[in-house]
Order: sequence, then C-alpha cells, then structure tokens
Amino acid sequence: MGKVVGIDLGTTNSLVSYVTDRGPVVIRDANGDALVPSIVSVDAAGTVFVGREAQRRLLTDSSRTVYSVKRFMGRGIDDVKDGAHLLPFRVGGEPGGVVRIGVGDREFTPPEISAFVLRELKRRAEDHFREQGEFDFEVDRAVITVPAYFNDAQRTATRDAGRLAGLEVLRIINEPTAASLAYGLDRKNRGTIAVYDLGGGTFDISILKVEDGVFQVLSTNGDTHLGGDDIDRLLTELVLAELGTGGHGLPAETVQAIRKAAIQAKIDLSSADEAVLAVDRSPALPDGFTRRITRDEFETIIRPLVERTLAPVRQALEDAGLEPGEVDEVVLVGGSTRVPLVRGLVEGLFGRTPHSDLNPDEVVAVGAAVQADILISGRREMLLLDVTPLSLGIETLGGVTSKIILRNSTIPASGREMFTTGVDGQTAVDVHVLQGERELAADCRSLARFRLRGIPPMPAGLPRIEVRFQIDANGILSVSAKELRTDIEQAIDVKPSYGLTDAEVERMLIDSFEHAEADFEARLLIDARNEAESIVLATEKSLRRPDFAQLAGREVSPSEVAAIERAVAALRTAIAGTDREVIHGATHALNDATRHLAEVMMNNSVREALAGKSVDDV
Amino acid sequence: MSAQPLTVRSATPPECRSCNTSVPVDEHFCPNCSRIQSLGRHGDYFAFLGLPRALTIDAQDLDRRFRDLSRKFHPDFYYNATPAERLASLERSSYLNDAYRALKQPVSRIEHLLTIEGLPMGKSEEGAAKVPPGLLEEVFALNEELDEIRDLREAGADAAVLAARLATARKPIEAKRDEHERALLEASEQWDRQAGAPADARRATLETLRQLLLERNYITNLLGTIEREAAAHG
Repeated sequence: MGKVVGIDLGTTNSLVSYVTDRGPVVIRDANGDALVPSIVSVDAAGTVFVGREAQRRLLTDSSRTVYSVKRFMGRGIDDVKDGAHLLPFRVGGEPGGVVRIGVGDREFTPPEISAFVLRELKRRAEDHFREQGEFDFEVDRAVITVPAYFNDAQRTATRDAGRLAGLEVLRIINEPTAASLAYGLDRKNRGTIAVYDLGGGTFDISILKVEDGVFQVLSTNGDTHLGGDDIDRLLTELVLAELGTGGHGLPAETVQAIRKAAIQAKIDLSSADEAVLAVDRSPALPDGFTRRITRDEFETIIRPLVERTLAPVRQALEDAGLEPGEVDEVVLVGGSTRVPLVRGLVEGLFGRTPHSDLNPDEVVAVGAAVQADILISGRREMLLLDVTPLSLGIETLGGVTSKIILRNSTIPASGREMFTTGVDGQTAVDVHVLQGERELAADCRSLARFRLRGIPPMPAGLPRIEVRFQIDANGILSVSAKELRTDIEQAIDVKPSYGLTDAEVERMLIDSFEHAEADFEARLLIDARNEAESIVLATEKSLRRPDFAQLAGREVSPSEVAAIERAVAALRTAIAGTDREVIHGATHALNDATRHLAEVMMNNSVREALAGKSVDDV
Repeated sequence: MSAQPLTVRSATPPECRSCNTSVPVDEHFCPNCSRIQSLGRHGDYFAFLGLPRALTIDAQDLDRRFRDLSRKFHPDFYYNATPAERLASLERSSYLNDAYRALKQPVSRIEHLLTIEGLPMGKSEEGAAKVPPGLLEEVFALNEELDEIRDLREAGADAAVLAARLATARKPIEAKRDEHERALLEASEQWDRQAGAPADARRATLETLRQLLLERNYITNLLGTIEREAAAHG
C-alpha cells in the first residue's frame, strides 16, 4: 500500500498535505511554496504544463491555458455562459450535457483538466516522500475536499477527476468541515462554530456543534458560483470599460495582463488604503494603463457581491435553529476572507471577531489530511458528521418535486419511495431524480434519469416497487430498487444529467495513460536537455579558464581540443532536436572527449594547491 | 418527507453473517464475534437507541446516545472491513441518523410512536382535507376575514390597515395552536405514566395524540395561509 494524502482542489490554488507522527504537514516546493495554481496549459506539441509554469503561460499563450475549471465541474453549458466571454479558452458542449473545454485542437471535460492538477499534486507529494528517504513513496489514495454546497454531480465529477489522476478517492469531504477539523486539532473545547469559507470561486457557510470529538454539522448553505474570481472580474471589467472596449477586440493575452493587474490591486488593497492598477504596454495597448484605486472605491464596487454571502449565512443559522449571537466561534477560511470588507461584514453579522489564526489558504488541506488519517488508522477520537446540502427528490405527476431526503440531513442518509405502474403489463418505469429546494421539478437540478426495468407483468397499479435512495458519507447518491410482491431486485440504468458515465471515465483513463506516456516522454526529454546543457556550460567554462592556455600545448594536444570543440557542437545540435537518445549519445561523447582534460585540470589544481602549501611552509 | 419506517419485524431472530450465531434484532453487534450486524427490517427508533417508548426525552441523553452510536457505526471506521460489514455500517449509520432526527423533535417523536403502535398518520394531505370539528368555528371566521382582506387589498387599501387586520385574524389561530401544544404535552405525559396500564387505556391516549396531531397540522396550514397573504402585501 502506498501513501495517503489530503488534497484541497481549489478554484485558484490547490494543495496537498499528509499526517506524520508529529502532526499534519503541508507539502511545499523548494521555495517553500505550498500553493499549486489550479491552471493547466497544453502547448501546440501537446506537452501539458501545470501550476506556476501554466500560470506564466497564461500571459504568453492564453488560448491554450485553462484556469478556474472547478466552476465547470458537474455543470452544463447553460450554467456557465455568464462571464465566459472573458475566458481565454473555449467553453462549449451540447445543451443539457457536460461542459467541454477546447484547447487548440483538443477537447477536455472539466474532470480531465482537474485530473492534471491532481496528478501534479500526486507527483509533488511523491517527490517529497522520495526526498524523505521513504522506500514506498507512491501516493495512491487521497481525501479530496469540495465546497459544502456542491451538488451530487459536482461531487461525482471531483471523484472522477481523482480516478483519472490514478488516485483512489477515499472520501470526498466538505471544505468548511475540513477546516473545522484542522481547528479542532489543538482545541479540546466544545461549542457552536460557524465556518465562513469564501474561496476563489465558491462560497460556503457551515454551522457545527462540537462535543467530545464529534464534529456535527447542523446546517450548511452557500453559492457555488461566488468567490474571489468575481471580484477579479469586476475590476477587470472596470479597466476594460475605461479603455472603452467591452473586452472584445483585445487579444486574450492583454485581457489576462489586465486580470493579473486587477488581482494584484485586490491583494494590495487588503493592507493598503490605495493601490495602482498597472498594466504594462503591449502592441494592443501601446500606452499601457495606469489608474489609482482607493479602498473606498474598491469596497463600493465589490459590496453587492460580498453582501450576497449574507443571505446563505442567515438561512444556515435559521436551519440550525440559532441566533447569530449563539455562535461561540466564527472561523474564516479561503483566500478571499483576507479582504477587509468581508471580515467587517462577517464580524458585524455575528457580533464577534472571527478567528483566522490558521493560514486560510492551507487549513482545508490540513483538515483533508486529518480525515485521511482517521480513515486509514481507524482512530475514533474525532468524527465528522456532515450533512447533505440540498434536498433530494423525484419528479411526480404534474412536474412537481416530491422530496425524499431533506436538506441538512446528516449523512449517510437514506430514503424510500414506492412506485407502481400506470398501464396493464407495464414492465418499466421512468424515474427522474432531482436535487434542490424548489417546488417545481424544472426549477431543481436534474441529477439523473433512471429506468426501472424487469417489472413482472401485472395489472396497472399492482406492482409495488420500492426505490431506495442512499446518500453515502461522500454526499454521493446511489439508487437500488425492488419489486416487493415478487421480492425481485430491479435493474437500473443510470444516465447522469451533467456527469460522465462509467464507460466514459474508463475511456478517459485509457486516453490519459496514453497521454501520460507522452507526458512522461516530454519530461524525460526536458531532463536530458538540462543535463546536456549543464555539461556544455561546464566544458566551455573550462576552455575559457586563464590557466587553460598554458595547459593546452603542454599536456593537452591541439587535436584533443579540436575533438572537444566538435563534441560540444554536436551536443548543441542534439539539444536543439527532440530525440532523447541522440542527446544522451552526444552527452556521453562529450564526457568521453573531456575525460583526459578533466584529469589534467584536476592534477593541475592539486599541484597548485601543493605548491602554494610549500611556499607557505618555507 | 423521509420514508416511513417499516413495522414488520422478523419472526425468527436474524443470524450473524460472520459466525451464524442468532442475534436478537435490537443488538447492533454480534454477541459472539462482535461484528457489526446488517440492519434487517428494524422499525423501532426508540429500541434502536436503547430508549423506552416514552415521549419525554432528555435531549442531552439523546445527543449522547447519538454520538456514541455514531462512533460505533460510522463508515469512517469500517474502511478496512469486509464488504458486508461496510454495507452494515452504511445502513446502520443511515438508520441512526433517521432515528435521531425523528426523536429529536417532539412532533416527529409522537408521529413515530403512532407509527410503531399501528396508528400511522399517513400522508399530510389526509389531515389537511377536512376541517377537524373542534376548529370549525375558527376556520369559518378566518376564511371570511381573509376574503375581506383580499378584496380590500385588490381595492388598493393601505398596507398598514391590512397588516393590522391580519394580525387580529391571526390571534385566535395562534391561541388554538398554543392550546394544542399544551394538550399534546399533557397527552404525552399521560402516555409516559401509563407504561403498565391496560391496553385499551393506552390505546385511548394514542387516539387522543393522533387527533391532536391532525388538528395541529391543520392549524399549521392555516398559519401558512396567513403568512402567504401577508407576503402578498409586500
């Protein structure tokens, strides 16, 4: 068995964490950076870049670079049209189906893009374990977090992404609850906690009761389309408006440069009263763009957005049967809670200063690692009891929703519903499963359509088919059915409304293995080039050394120097190509050609050192 | 609405799937091999939580039982177990969550008691269809008043005047609700005192509880109608 990690798969950034004997550890790169930007770029040759490198490519190769893909998980094209015109990549797909993201001539579903991010996190963790000297460094299992308000389709899409990345997803857990676990580590107290989580693309509020290690969620609410991204978009649109264009006609790279400036100004305004929106000159923007913005102006622009978080907070409190003043602690999670206006509004609503002692970017990943540790260790000191955020129902006659499992029910949860036939001898019944709070089926989220088959032929109304809905601890639904008169288990065909079928996931897995090989090849090529370049540099440096001239001629023959120069030239040609074997061959040839030179120079250095010593001794 | 629990109880005690020992239906774990047991056709939330069929419940005690059993059943702790145990854990935790939810609130607690005592409430429409005799007078007066308020609203009457008339119309209904809450509490306490009483006396109490609950549902619907009218005033 390999290693188990906790992953925060965020809209803007993703992180990976695990638990050691000494407590949870967030895995960082050599620069101490834990955040992997959730950005994926695919160049014309098909090489995939993830994270910081992909983020850089956003400014140079925008149309081949995808960000904020979490917003498209488990969604249809009709859900995401709003704001799509500012995105540099193509967003398409058929109405009523999964969103497709176009990059160059390739098309990806959102789970496939997310899988690239997950694979990068997996690799980062494996590198870390290898450096720690672990014999078994492979990462094969993970707990992945999602917004609490994610519906069944969005959760399933996240689990599919994990599978595509070669991870067994032990558990999908909710981000605010994960954060509360992380906070719970060093607090033995009991009480009521509100977790306000405003991330890059999503907003969640969860109200929990904590008592002897049991973290029981009382209610949750949120908006899966509200976050820091929207603040960035408002500022970007401000600049575009002042440039006198709606963003149309500007190259995608320029729009991204403006977005980058908007993000920087937003960050600056968290600590300063004034910031500058500064966009560099470019061919499309010959004069560049500079504009001062005060915090007051910024807050006026974003206030309606931030106030949209308050209605879900009030609803969650009402569902938990609590007044704002009855909450003992308020915890802030997510990068967007660094915005002073957000803090101010939350403080005003609850009448108490919110906690933010743990890093709001990292606390969710830590909680995911803690949950992963609970699952594999079987330790029972802490237990998370979460709820389903939305009611589950089925469409009944007249297009009305009949609710089977109510929102804020503790999960796992189950419900039953009886069905019968309307026509004599009918052997199949169609069932439409919905998620949402509205009365009419058309206003709820369509999760799936089922066909109950194999009903024994009987007069209409006689069959008694019991359909059992089970929501597991991941918040994901499964359905089973039985005809009670005959006790025959019924077959169910599932067609997810905004998800992938198992067959599609299987096919993508095969595709991804093929591409993984290509990606692996690309990485090996890069490694070979790096090695070759460093040896070329070292050789050229030796040839330019001041003492080389006297060595040459005395101990190194001119023909030998000529051979070295030829080997360097050959290697340079090989580096420019894409054949890894040729690069390796040329690298070895240069190594051979310089072996004697290296010995001579080494001896010379030793002689000089000894000579220096003898002078001192005299 | 969550599913109605099944009242059917197995005639013969079920067997443990791991060691084939027969296990009493209310045992969560096999007394012999201590493996978690599949749920079977359980129907009694009180017994499941180890409680007597009483309507007065100590909320803190219920919370504690819920937490303790969650720690025993939750799928988190069966990650490495056999598929049968994992399924049993899923079923048992789901059922525990249903049981806790039903017993936590006094009204759903009474509903569950009526179900397992063979007097189920049925679907909500049943209670809403006909006016309970004890409420005839109030319902008649309310409907008349609501009609007049609607006419006034359509004629463009002042919102403050309408709000005042609604508040007045609401008072007798709220008084009825409070009366029913008290009566329900009294009947509940009577049920708890009758633990060893003859069957027909207990049956009479259950009938009283059922009638009070039907009327209470009717009153809740009336208050909903008033709410909707108030909302129409903007």
